Parts: sequence; structure tokens; C-alpha cells
Amino acid sequence: MGPKSVDKKRKTQVPESESDDELAGRLFDSVLSQSEDDSDFVASDDDEDDDQDDSASKGSQDDEDDEEDDDDALLSDDIPSDLDGEEALGKLLITDDEPEIEVPGVDPKRKDVGDEEKNYRIEKDANGGERYVYDEIEPGYDTDDTDAQGPANTIGDISLDFYDSYPHIGYDINGKRIMRPASGDALQNLLDSIEVPKGWTGLTDINTGNPLNLTDEELELVRRVQMGLIPNELHDPYPNTVEYFTSIEEKMRKTPLQALSSAPEPKRRFLPSKNEATQVMKLVRAIREGRILPYKPPEEGEREAEEEDEVHFDLWQNEEPQDANPMQIPAPKLPPPGYDMSYNPPEEYLPTKEEREEWEKLDPEEREKDYLPQKYGALRKVPAWSEMVKERFERCMDLYLAPRIRKNRLNIDPNSLLPKLPSPSELKPFPTVCQTIFRGHEGRVRSVSVDPSGTALATGGDDGAVRVWELLTGRQVWSVKLSSDEAVNTVRWRPSKDSFILAAAAGEDIFLMVPSHATVTPSLDQASRDILAAGFGYATHGQQQPVAVGKEPAAKWARPGTKLEDEGVLIRVTVRSTVKVIHWHKRGDHFATVSPSGQRSSVAIHTLSKHMTQIPFRKLSGLAQTAAFHPLRPLFFVATQRTIRCYDLQKLELVKAVQPGAKWISSFDIHPSGDNLIVGSYDKRLLWHDLDLSNRPYKTMRFHSEAIRMVRFHRGGLPLFADASDDGTLQIFHGKVPNDQLENPTIVPVKMLKGHKVVNKLGVLDIDWHPREPWCVSAGADGTARLWM
Amino acid sequence: MEQHTAVAEHGAQVKVTFTTTEEDIQLPEGKRQLLVPADIRRYGLSRILNSESMLDTASIPFDFLVNGSFLHTSLEDYLKANGLSIESSITLQYVRSLTPPIYEASFEHDDWVSAVDVLSATSAAGRWSGDSFQRGQDRILSASYDGLLRIWSTSGHVIATSPSGSHGGHTASIKAAKFLSSTQIASAGMDRTVRVWKYSEHSSAAGDHVSGDLKPTLELYGHAGSIDSLEVDGQSKRMLTASADGAVGFWSTSKTTAPEPNATLLPGAHTSKRRKVSSSVTTALRGPLAMMNIHSAPASAAVFDPRDRTVAYSVSQDHTMRTIDLTTSVVVSTLTTSHPLLSLCALARSSSAPLLAAGTSARHVTLVDPRSSATTTSVMTLRGHTNKVVGLAPSPDNEYSLVSASHDATCRLWDLRSVRPATKDEGLGSVSEPVYVIDRESRQGSKKKATAAGDGCKVFGVAWDKLGIFSAGEDKKIQINRGKDVAV
Repeated sequence: MGPKSVDKKRKTQVPESESDDELAGRLFDSVLSQSEDDSDFVASDDDEDDDQDDSASKGSQDDEDDEEDDDDALLSDDIPSDLDGEEALGKLLITDDEPEIEVPGVDPKRKDVGDEEKNYRIEKDANGGERYVYDEIEPGYDTDDTDAQGPANTIGDISLDFYDSYPHIGYDINGKRIMRPASGDALQNLLDSIEVPKGWTGLTDINTGNPLNLTDEELELVRRVQMGLIPNELHDPYPNTVEYFTSIEEKMRKTPLQALSSAPEPKRRFLPSKNEATQVMKLVRAIREGRILPYKPPEEGEREAEEEDEVHFDLWQNEEPQDANPMQIPAPKLPPPGYDMSYNPPEEYLPTKEEREEWEKLDPEEREKDYLPQKYGALRKVPAWSEMVKERFERCMDLYLAPRIRKNRLNIDPNSLLPKLPSPSELKPFPTVCQTIFRGHEGRVRSVSVDPSGTALATGGDDGAVRVWELLTGRQVWSVKLSSDEAVNTVRWRPSKDSFILAAAAGEDIFLMVPSHATVTPSLDQASRDILAAGFGYATHGQQQPVAVGKEPAAKWARPGTKLEDEGVLIRVTVRSTVKVIHWHKRGDHFATVSPSGQRSSVAIHTLSKHMTQIPFRKLSGLAQTAAFHPLRPLFFVATQRTIRCYDLQKLELVKAVQPGAKWISSFDIHPSGDNLIVGSYDKRLLWHDLDLSNRPYKTMRFHSEAIRMVRFHRGGLPLFADASDDGTLQIFHGKVPNDQLENPTIVPVKMLKGHKVVNKLGVLDIDWHPREPWCVSAGADGTARLWM
Repeated sequence: MEQHTAVAEHGAQVKVTFTTTEEDIQLPEGKRQLLVPADIRRYGLSRILNSESMLDTASIPFDFLVNGSFLHTSLEDYLKANGLSIESSITLQYVRSLTPPIYEASFEHDDWVSAVDVLSATSAAGRWSGDSFQRGQDRILSASYDGLLRIWSTSGHVIATSPSGSHGGHTASIKAAKFLSSTQIASAGMDRTVRVWKYSEHSSAAGDHVSGDLKPTLELYGHAGSIDSLEVDGQSKRMLTASADGAVGFWSTSKTTAPEPNATLLPGAHTSKRRKVSSSVTTALRGPLAMMNIHSAPASAAVFDPRDRTVAYSVSQDHTMRTIDLTTSVVVSTLTTSHPLLSLCALARSSSAPLLAAGTSARHVTLVDPRSSATTTSVMTLRGHTNKVVGLAPSPDNEYSLVSASHDATCRLWDLRSVRPATKDEGLGSVSEPVYVIDRESRQGSKKKATAAGDGCKVFGVAWDKLGIFSAGEDKKIQINRGKDVAV
């Protein structure tokens, strides 16, 4: 469509221009020649038609236009292609480097001076070859940039006679109408033509509709053309000869087109070069394979070479050289010599007489320096260094004896190492506050025990008394003084609900009693008494083991005397040394006692129904501290100072020895499910053992500042355990043993219970749990027992 | 316009709407909305309500509930604290105010006082005794750990003391005692017996000096453990006990209707070598009408349903609350809570089944709706005590307040109308906080800091009558705080 309409327009226009052939032809030529080399600009400047043409079909299309109609040749862009007698212009243009016209986008101004001022610079490209970088194109006055034009008709490529019936002839860039200039009548035209203004052409500017007048410059151009001069006055027709083939040729030949081309940079220049990539890869491979080594300053290289030459010895092994160990630490270097070591030191370094005397007086060990600066007039006067051997020896000793440690710094956030534990509030219930204080004992309360029904609390203390309390109110309901000079070391209820029997140990005596206060029914009281009395019949009616003559019996079972019997204390068992621990078997017929000072007979097992005492171990390695029956299986645990040994009571053999790693075990307790063990020690540690897992503790907790006296599991199904410490606190732990054997137990400290005062460095001496509720009772050295819930 | 500026000078105003649930002090429809100064407090609001233009009442002190909590600050501060704008309108529910229970007197005992009960015209026993109750014959009954019952006049004189163990009295501490009528008393204690006493009074010739006499009439055996609570119904002459052996006993107070006791439980049933407590006085020995071994842990309290005396509720340390049909001695329903329950009282509600308040060892009081149809069993939690809650008594005047006694040496008064939703820590449901805290007067003097353990000042029992709030404690005293008008 484009070309057609162009043709149409041209046809309408051409005759008009031909009407003033003489002038117009020249005019056009001159105008064209104004920009010497580029017809595009001139044409568009001059003629709207050409402007259209230019914008519509650039480059090659123009050629076709030319071929299509010859009469348009003058107007076409490609002036130089037809040399049809437009004389000077044609020649002129040809003399300039015509072929480049084809290349758009290059500043045409530069072209003629291309040789002197290059419009490009040469840079080194990746290969090290030359690369032409062209300057930015600056739109200027005489470029072919059409944007710089003034107000132009924007109606596009349509014939102007569409506007014949309108007062305007088109629209400018702002959408405003371009009004048709008032055209006078013929007479006016005539008058105008008579009174010709300067630069009058008689033509109408097709863009504005105004008469097309020539400017002074254009007139000058016309004049020069008419005079046969070179139109461009700046043009030097006789430039200095440039020896073309000797000066430019080389460059030209290399890049014959580039050198003169104004073509835009080809796309390949923006794309990464494949060739370069292969080159780089070659280098990379070479570096990888070690064919190319990174640059190193020469000193460094030397040092490395030196290091490589070093021979390493392991001082502690043998004298053969070893391979270099990455952990090898080079020997520290000796400090470089200072001025005072010079044979000719500056005066100020030389010691004065006093200093010399002082130095000589000092013991060689204490001298700050082991030499004195000395001055010699000449190097040849310097004597041999007398201390040489000694110095070398000392250096060797230093290297030999000085420890050299490589410190590795761990960069780990300490918080990330903490295991994820549930928060204590999720682990309720557990005891949190002291709710009842049991006051009454004089001196320390040594032991507490909650009875199997959970209503009565028994305590034993330094005053030799055993007291029974109502648990919730703290009311003392029963008491008996067992001994006037011995403290009650331990009290333990018989673990069955069908009786109400309390065992207490004071000194070497173990007392079994029925603390029958008012709330104990006569039948329960009687049942308890019957259980205790059963053994007497057994003892008297034979069956008792014959005691070897001359051998002291393990224990003596007897009635304690009427005074105590009236109070309800019914049996006294006297063993050989002070009993510290009583532990009942769950069925209530046996109880074990431990007397740490008892040597061979420190552990004893008593049978209530037979009034019989046995000493199960002929020899114990270490001092027995405490003992316990396994809650489910016929196993018996004995703790010595460092080890807990587990014995099978049926096979009478050692099953297991647990090494908690504590220095002195104070107490331990077995989880009601039987597979876990907690151990408290006098060295402040609380240890959790998984008996199936290992002989070493699963977890060690050091939360107390003083010794741990007692540890205890809750026996009523709650996952709780507690420890009591000499720092006056109890700590409550959540210790859940999962049913799944593969899972590890969860141990979370949930509460620290403070309240007991520390008296004579003793804090809490014993604890016991309520059989059902999360309540625990503690015995304090401050003379109180406390209920926590 | 001028008026407006005047207001601005005076301070901001808040639009309030007064509502109430009490019929007799309703405001007329038009007067319910009012603009009040923003800095007004409870007292100012109360005066406004009492003024001639409003209720025209003399001087009823009012408290104001905003969103379920009592207004303690000025309205402005309340709005600020709750992030409300001063323009927002507030609905104030006004209720008759609880006046603080002022300390009145203490009655000294020789030993810890475990329980207290009141005989007055308005107390239950007074009502049960009917015409036989003489006006002005207000009596206070105290049970002590020394095994003695004491009857006090309101002026603090001991009128009668029960005989000691060797003379027909309790052989161990008494844990509970109640007036059955003006002439009959029941008591129970650690000696596992429930005893019924005949109480008679005779004025001495001197005139105002009254002396009384307590004679044991019945000795009831049946429990195998310490009896921790006793509840009586003078009308039907029935008693309920809860014992540490986990049983709830149902007893008759008359010799004729009570069955023979189980011989094994009687003292001297077994010839043991322990000290004999031989009594010089012989009283009739009887057994329970029903002994219900329904709890797996010590039963701590049992009460009658206030409306239906054939229904009882019992609580126990085994965390359960059980509803018992007394005619068949069968447990009707069991509610399991999460804590051991130590005390119980039934708050009568005129409209429906009673609300049960149970004190727990976990330092709070749970309010439970015992009806099996109730969707939420735990209605509300009263939080504030720092130790076991071992005693509860409802208000004699209304059905929304109660007093609780705790081992933390305080009694606390609760108003069930003041409710807030529980925080995350406290779990679900709604929570109320005490309106007043009654400290032990014996503790006031000493500068010893109150500890949670309530060392030496534990409160074991409480009774609330129009005469006052009577609390019995470890400090060997009955403390009386004014109870009248505490909650009108």
C-alpha cells in the first residue's frame, strides 16, 4: 500500500515542481547537496513526500522505487545511484565515499573526516585482538535524524487532496490542526510574484502550506552552485595527499568494511563468544589438572619449598622421620637479634659498670638476659660464643618440654545443643508449694514415710522419737520415744493396706510397731498385731535354724518391754551395728536393712513371719550404702560407695553391676516398672540409669550445690521423681519411662522446692511420695517435715 | 454551645446504662441511661443511684459489675484499661454491695478448733427446732482437737463442755460437729464414732448466767477411719458422714430407728494390749442406716441436696464427686475432676438443682453442676487461695455468695456473679476471684509473714450465719467476723 500511495502523491507533485523547472531543479539539487552525503535528510527536510517515503520504506526499498519510476529519481533517496546529469552534485557525492551512505545509524558528519578523527576507538578484545568500539551517535543539526524536525504534518502517507475540502491540511504532533494558509486569488499571487521576497521560490511548503522560501544559507548554496564553486564552503578541494595504500591500507585490509562502516555493532559482539569459552575452558582444565599454578610471590614459594624439605620427627616415638602430620605445630621461632647483640652496639646499649656488677651478682637463673652487650673494635676481634652449647641445649629443652597445643574453637550456638524439652507447665501435676509443716521434733527430722493409704505420715528424728501425723492437717496423732540417746535413722511403713505396721531403726535396733491411734479400727490393729506376733510362735515352735555354737546370731528378735509395748511398739530386732536404711519388700514379709559400718554383716534381710535374719553376703567389696528390692522381679540391689550390684535372689548370683560414676552413692531408687534406676550421690550428682541400656548412666544431672541425700520415684503411677539435697532444696523431676522400649525416657526438671533451712550444713534428709497424689513429704534438718503439693 | 464547653472543662462524660437483676431495686425505664463524669468511682455511682431522682432509697451501698467483674477503679480508668473509647456506652449491672466482714471477736480454746456451727433463729438448726427455739438463745458450737465440744453464748462464755473420753465423750479429736436442733447436737471425729448429744440449758438463779449440759445419747459406730465431715438434717433426723476409709455413712439420730452396730468396730472388740479407754458412762451403741464404701480414697465430705433429702453428694480425695440416692444407697452418677476434693457445700438454687462447690487440694474451689444432663459439669473455678480448701459455707442470705476456709490461714468470700473467663494457664471455663479475704486475727499482731503453708493459723472450718462468719482454726480460736449485711 505504501509505495502506491507514494506514487500517487508524487504524480500530483511532480508536475507542479516541473512547472518551475529551472529553479526547482537547481533548488532541489542545491538543497540535496547541502548535507553533502546524505540525501535522506535533505529530502525529508524539503519534501514531505520524501519524508514519508523515508519513514515508510528505508534502505533497499528505495532502490526498487528508483527502478519503478525514473522520473522520481531526483526525489529518491539514492541519489548517487543515478548519475543522470545532475552534474556537480553527483560528482561531488561520488568523490566522497559514496558506498557508505547505505549504512545508516552512523554519524554522517564524521564520515568525511573519518581519517583524521575516528568515530571509533580500538580496544583489546578477549583474544587480545583489536576491537572497534564506535562512538555514540549524537543527533545534531545535520544528521539524518528526523526527530529533530519542526512541526510537521502527521497525517501520514495519504494524499493531501483528502483535505481539500477542509480548512486545515493535517495535524501537527500535538494533534492541533495545521491550518491551510490563506491562499489569495490569482491577482494576489501575481502581486506576490512581482514583489518577490528574498528567497522566494513560488513553491508551497507541503508541510505547512506556507510559501516555501529559501533561507540565506540556501541562497548562498544556490549562489555557489551557480558560480560553479564547490557548494560546501568548508570543503577543501585540495587536501594534502594521503598516501592511501601505504597508510590506511593495512587497517583497511584487515577490516575493510569495519574501518569505514557505520553499521551498528553486529549482534555477535553482544553474545558470549564460543571461541572464548573454549579458550577459558582450556585454561580451567589446565588449572584443574595443575598444569597452570596460581601465581605466588617468590618468597612464599621459597618458604613452601623449605617447608617441604623439613623433616618431621615424633619426639615421643623414635628417631625416624615421620610423615608430616596436619596437626604438626612448628617450633616457635627465636626472636631476631637486637642491637645489643651486635659486636659493635650503640653506646646506649652498653652496660654501665653498676649494671655489669649487678648482672654478675645475679644468679644465672634470674638474669633477664644471659649475655651482656659488648663492644669490639672490629669483627675479627669477636671471640667465639662461649655459651653456644648451653644455649643450644636450652633451646632443645624448651622445644622438648614446652607443650604446644592447637586450640580448636567450636563455633556452635550453645542453645542449639540443649535438647528440646517440654515446658514444665505441660507436665502438671507436680508439687509446687509447701502446704503443711509438721512441727514437733526436736533436732533434725531424719526420715519420713507416708503410709500406704495416704492418710498418715510417720517421721523419725534426732530426738529418738517416732511420730505419726495426720497428713493433711499436720496434726500429730501418735508418738513414741524409742531411744533417749540414739536418733531414729529411718522409718518405713510396711507396704500393705491390710496392716498398719511401721518399722523404725534407732541405733542398732529395729523396732516394729503398730501406731494405733484412734482412727485405726480394732480389727486393723489386731490384724497388724497378729502379723507381728506370728513369728514368735515360729521361733518357739522349732524350725529355727540351728545357730552354730560360738557364732553370734545375725540378729536378735525380742519384745521391747512393756513400756514400749503399751505404746504399740511390739518387736525389737537388734543387729550388730547402726542401721541406716530399711527397705521393705513389696509383699511386706521381708525387709532389708543396711548398716554401712557393719562390715560383713552390713546388709541383712529379715523375714517378719519367721522372725529370722539372714546375712546374704559373706563379703562385700566396698561399704554398703543402701539396698532395695526390685519392685517386680526377685532381684536385690545393693549399693556400695561406687557401684550398685544387682543380685538374683533365687539363683543367688550377681546379675549386673551398675557403675554410676559417682564418687559416693547416697541413695538410689528403682522405677516402679523396674527398668530404670535413679542414683543420688554425695558429690551432688543425680544419675538416671536405664538398666537394660548400659551400665553407665543415661543421664547425669548436677543441679544441686550440695550433696544429694535421697532420691525417690513416685509409686502411684505419676511420672515423677524427686531428690533431696543438703542445700535445703528438693528438686522435682518429670521422668517418664515410655512403654516403647526403643524410646528414651524423658527427664525434665520441673520444680525446685525451697523452704527447709540448712542447719549445720544439712538440708533435706529424706523424702517420700504420697501413694496416689503428686504430693511429697520431706524431712528437714531444721526440725520440720513438710508436705508439698 | 456554652453548656458543651462547660462539660469539657468539668471533664469527660460517659454514657452508662444501669441494669440489675434484683426486682425490688429496678430503675424505671426512662432513667436507666445516664451521662456521668468519667472520673466517677463506685461510691459516686452508688450515691447517684440512691439519690431521690433515681431509686430514692436511703443508702443501699451498691457494687457495679462491668462485663462480669466488679468496678474497682474510676470509669475512665476502666475504659482505658480495656482499650475502650470514652464515647462508648457502658452497661453497669448494679448489685447490692458486699460490705467487708469486720472482725468482731475470737473465742479461745485449749486446742485446735476443727469445726464450728451456729444455732440461731436463721440457721438451719434454729429452723428445724421450730418453736422450741427461744429468741435470743443464739449458741455457737465448736469442736476441738482435744476431743471436747464447747457451746458458747454469743458473748463468748462457755455454756457447756462435753465430757471427756473417759466420761462418755469422744476419745480422740473431734473433726465435725453440728446442731441438730436447739437441744440436740451431733459430732464426729477421729475416734471413728458419730455421737449424738442431748443439750439442755438452765439459767442459774443469778439470772443472766446460763449454764448448760451435754449428755451423750447415742454412739454410732460404722466407719473404719477418721470421720472428717458431718452433715445433719434436723427435719428428717438423718446424718451423713464422710470418712477417711472412703465410706459415706448415712445415720439416724434416734435410738429407735438406728440398727445395731457391727461388733468388730466397737472398742474392745479385740482384747488387745493397748491402753483401754474405759468409759464410766454407758450410752446406746448403734450402727449406720447405710454404709456406702464408694470412694477409693478418703471421702472428705458429704452433703444433702438442699431440696431433696433423699439425695446426697459426696466428694473424695480420689478426685470424684458422687451423687447418691439415699433410699437405695446407690451411686447415681460420678463426676471425675482433676484434683483431690477436700470439702463440699451445696448452694441452693431456687430455679434448679443445686450448684455444688467443692474445695480442692489444688488451692481452688470448683463449682459443679451435678445434674447429669448438664453440658458442662465444671461451671466455674474460684481461685485465690494458696492452700488446700477444707471448708465451705453458703451465704445465709442469697444463692450467689459463699465463704471458703483454707489452710492458708484465710477465709475468702466469693461472689459468683463476678466472673471472668479463665486465662490460658488456668484452663477452660470461667474464673472468679475473692471479694473479701478474712485473715486470722491472731496473725495480725505478729509480724510474721504469711506463708502458703498457713503455719499455725490454718482454718479448718467455717460457718456463715446472719450472726456472722465463724471460722475455726489451728490458732485455737473461733474467729467471728460480721456476717450480717455482708451480702444482703
